Amino acid sequence: MYKTLNKQKKLTSILLLLASLLDLSAKTDEVLESISSELTYFNEIATATKQNEHYQPYIISVFQGKELEKLGISNLKEALGLVPGVDMATDNFNNQTPIFRGSNPSAYGQSKLLIDGVSVNNLFFDSYSEYLSFPIEMIKRIEIVRGPGSKTDGMNAYAGSINVITYAENFEGFESSDKLVFKYGSYDYIMGGFFKTYKTDDLKAFIDFFYQKDNKKLPSGLDGLSQGALGANNIPLSRSGNAPLWLKEYSLGVNLEYKDFFLKARMLEHTNGSAYGINLALPQESDRIKLPSYYLHLGYNKKIDNYKINIAAGIKQDAFDSYSKLAPDNLNLGGIIFEDGIYGEHFAKQQTLYQSSYIKYEGIDRHLITLGYRLAREETIDMVSKLSNRATGDVELVDYTETLPFFDKSAKRNIFIFSLQDEFQLNDNLSFIYGFNYEKTSRKDAGLEPRVSIVYQLDAKNIFKTIYSRSHRNASWQEMFTMNNRARVGSVNLEPEIVDAFEAAYIKKISSDSHFQTNLFYLLNKNQIYNSSSNPEYKNAMDTDIYGLELEYKGNISPLDQLYLNYSYVTGESDIKDEDRRESLSNIAHHLAKGYYIYNINRALSLSGVAKYVGSKSRVFGDTRQKVKAYSTFDTALHYKNKKYDFALTFSVKNIFNTAVKFPSAPNTYSEDYEQESRSFLIAFKKSFK
Amino acid sequence: MKKAVILLFILVSFSYGYTYNKLLLKAQASIFPKIIMLDKKLEGKLVEGKIIYTIVYEKNDYETALEIEKFIDEKYNGRFNDYAYKINLVEFADLSQETQASAIYSLNSENYIKKVAEIAEQKGVVTFSYDIDNLKNGLLFSLMLEKSTVLYFNKKNLHPYNINFVDSLYQIVKFVESKNDIQKNLYNKTLWFKNQNTAIAGL
Repeated sequence: MYKTLNKQKKLTSILLLLASLLDLSAKTDEVLESISSELTYFNEIATATKQNEHYQPYIISVFQGKELEKLGISNLKEALGLVPGVDMATDNFNNQTPIFRGSNPSAYGQSKLLIDGVSVNNLFFDSYSEYLSFPIEMIKRIEIVRGPGSKTDGMNAYAGSINVITYAENFEGFESSDKLVFKYGSYDYIMGGFFKTYKTDDLKAFIDFFYQKDNKKLPSGLDGLSQGALGANNIPLSRSGNAPLWLKEYSLGVNLEYKDFFLKARMLEHTNGSAYGINLALPQESDRIKLPSYYLHLGYNKKIDNYKINIAAGIKQDAFDSYSKLAPDNLNLGGIIFEDGIYGEHFAKQQTLYQSSYIKYEGIDRHLITLGYRLAREETIDMVSKLSNRATGDVELVDYTETLPFFDKSAKRNIFIFSLQDEFQLNDNLSFIYGFNYEKTSRKDAGLEPRVSIVYQLDAKNIFKTIYSRSHRNASWQEMFTMNNRARVGSVNLEPEIVDAFEAAYIKKISSDSHFQTNLFYLLNKNQIYNSSSNPEYKNAMDTDIYGLELEYKGNISPLDQLYLNYSYVTGESDIKDEDRRESLSNIAHHLAKGYYIYNINRALSLSGVAKYVGSKSRVFGDTRQKVKAYSTFDTALHYKNKKYDFALTFSVKNIFNTAVKFPSAPNTYSEDYEQESRSFLIAFKKSFK
Repeated sequence: MKKAVILLFILVSFSYGYTYNKLLLKAQASIFPKIIMLDKKLEGKLVEGKIIYTIVYEKNDYETALEIEKFIDEKYNGRFNDYAYKINLVEFADLSQETQASAIYSLNSENYIKKVAEIAEQKGVVTFSYDIDNLKNGLLFSLMLEKSTVLYFNKKNLHPYNINFVDSLYQIVKFVESKNDIQKNLYNKTLWFKNQNTAIAGL
């Protein structure tokens, strides 16, 4: 009996010990699983927010909105001024566009702009000038990929792509506060806006709104009539004065997420002064161009076992809407005298309908396969063309929509893109991405475009990348469908511009938060589209080889500051097809150097400076004007943040030394280059609400 | 101009300093406390039955240390699993053998990292570092946001300690062998990619 009891006691003890060990083991497993899950969670955020940008298979720079606010940066355009290898160009509409690595400065659409992942380039120019004034306070982060970059989702970035992320992006544990913003600055600039997030268990709603306007005008020099833009007999009518560069716009954005469904929508009403005149005659102060942009993007994301499905569809509308005095009083056009000048109304509204489906499969060990398609139908849905009476010279507008349209109102194009890509992680040091896009359109096709990239992480401090990719830019609506215009003649037979990009990068991580990066690139551009005043028809006029390098440093000098510097060099040569000659890159700054420094005086106060150098630019062949001069600008900002009451105040002065900043005008248009901002100031107030 | 720019780049390449990445701070504040739970000898390091999570910082980084404390409190609400915890904020200059600590998390410092490692060794407690560079000065764990989120562990620094981790921990860390040489471990095949790009490096 005693022995039996003793045995039972021993057995109980062993069982208790086992139970305790099992419990301990279960708890250990639970902790390990929890760590794994946290690693996954933070990796997803780091990848989505590009905080592991150095390991991505493309050349990318990321700028945080809050850091840009500290620098006194006011809008997207000013922020892009900091990007390595990116310069800005403009035209007589003041239709500004970033130039990536010297790629065809006379064409738009060289880069794509995405707002929260939705492409917003307008169809008319394939540009996004109307979004460059997007206030920085509405932007959480800007991701800029130089080169064709990631093309697995049917987006054909050619020379670069810019992804603007608003505060609609929200991760669990990283929620953004609601905000109210007011700004006041030079040129009678005022701005007001807010954003707000609303969340329940299943629904997340985000809304942003802003209104801004200014009264900017800058000296123009003699207008294009002085160069015979409207005929030699009208040269004496040339005028000089202030070009109306004013801005008036408002925007409403809405993002909704409900379970696996999401909606992204924006309405942007953008109006600006007619700048230098669509016919190169200096316009009146009230003359305007409207560039509205609307989009509605619906989507569905679902993860089923090893499959991730993304189905999306959307509609995008944009327009070119100009009302202005196109020519001065007493203009003589073919013997008809327009005593009160020529007025014109030009309106073309475009619509893009699209649908895409992508599937990611991660069921094969070390592979992530992405497969899908994107369908798009692009078309002009409305067009109006009115001018003063061309037969009598009477100033009243006559509707020439049917008889003498400025644009082909039946313009349309269908696009189908099929994509396949495999991301293969050979080991934790070496990964490959390879795949292709195949595009078929109802116009000229780009065809098959392969891409291969290799990322090699030698150790925690040294990362190497090599990338080969081919991409294209389809001709814009303006380049294909402009009609009855002396300065621009569209051609529906234009081939897409094609680029073969070879890129290599080395990243040295100096510490967790500082790095040095070197990029080398060689770009073989074919069929670049070009026109000129002497040859106004848009043609696939040239092939251009471009090569260069970019150096980038981000880090600190002391624990109290932040330093960012970059330098880029670009050069190359164009082969002008019809003329059997080669010329070096024109209207391109070979040297760009940019940087900023923020000194945090204390937790509340910081003082910063932004410096920018843009090298001189050669003129295009036949333009006898002197080179566009190099310039350097310096800005400074004082930023105060009150933690107790959750508000921030920034005072900044831009272009402190009032340097002449000019973007080149095309030959035989305005004799002087287009003057940009002189010294200016800006005050920004921002209040956060928890 | 070109020469000036190149010179500037060379100069700044040798400059040194820190800021803190908020996502990385939060990731470390979330994950490091869980590693303490995997120390089989944790019971012996409790102070009055509590885990004392000591954050050491330079004077200028006090606000950052407070932010980390706030984040840990919001996430863990006073308990790391079965154990109550207390967060102890200590300036590097004030850290000594007498400082209460069951584990030490170190922000950046140019002068004090070796001191932290020595004190931790004497006390036999786990150390965590914001910057991976500090592992070469004797600290044990760091975490990096690479292509995957990677937990780095300097096994070489473990021997002197009175620390005995559960074996399965070694399946989810990446080993640092020497100063600049990260051991090139292959991914754990079964866990790789199921965790969607989260680095789980095994032996």
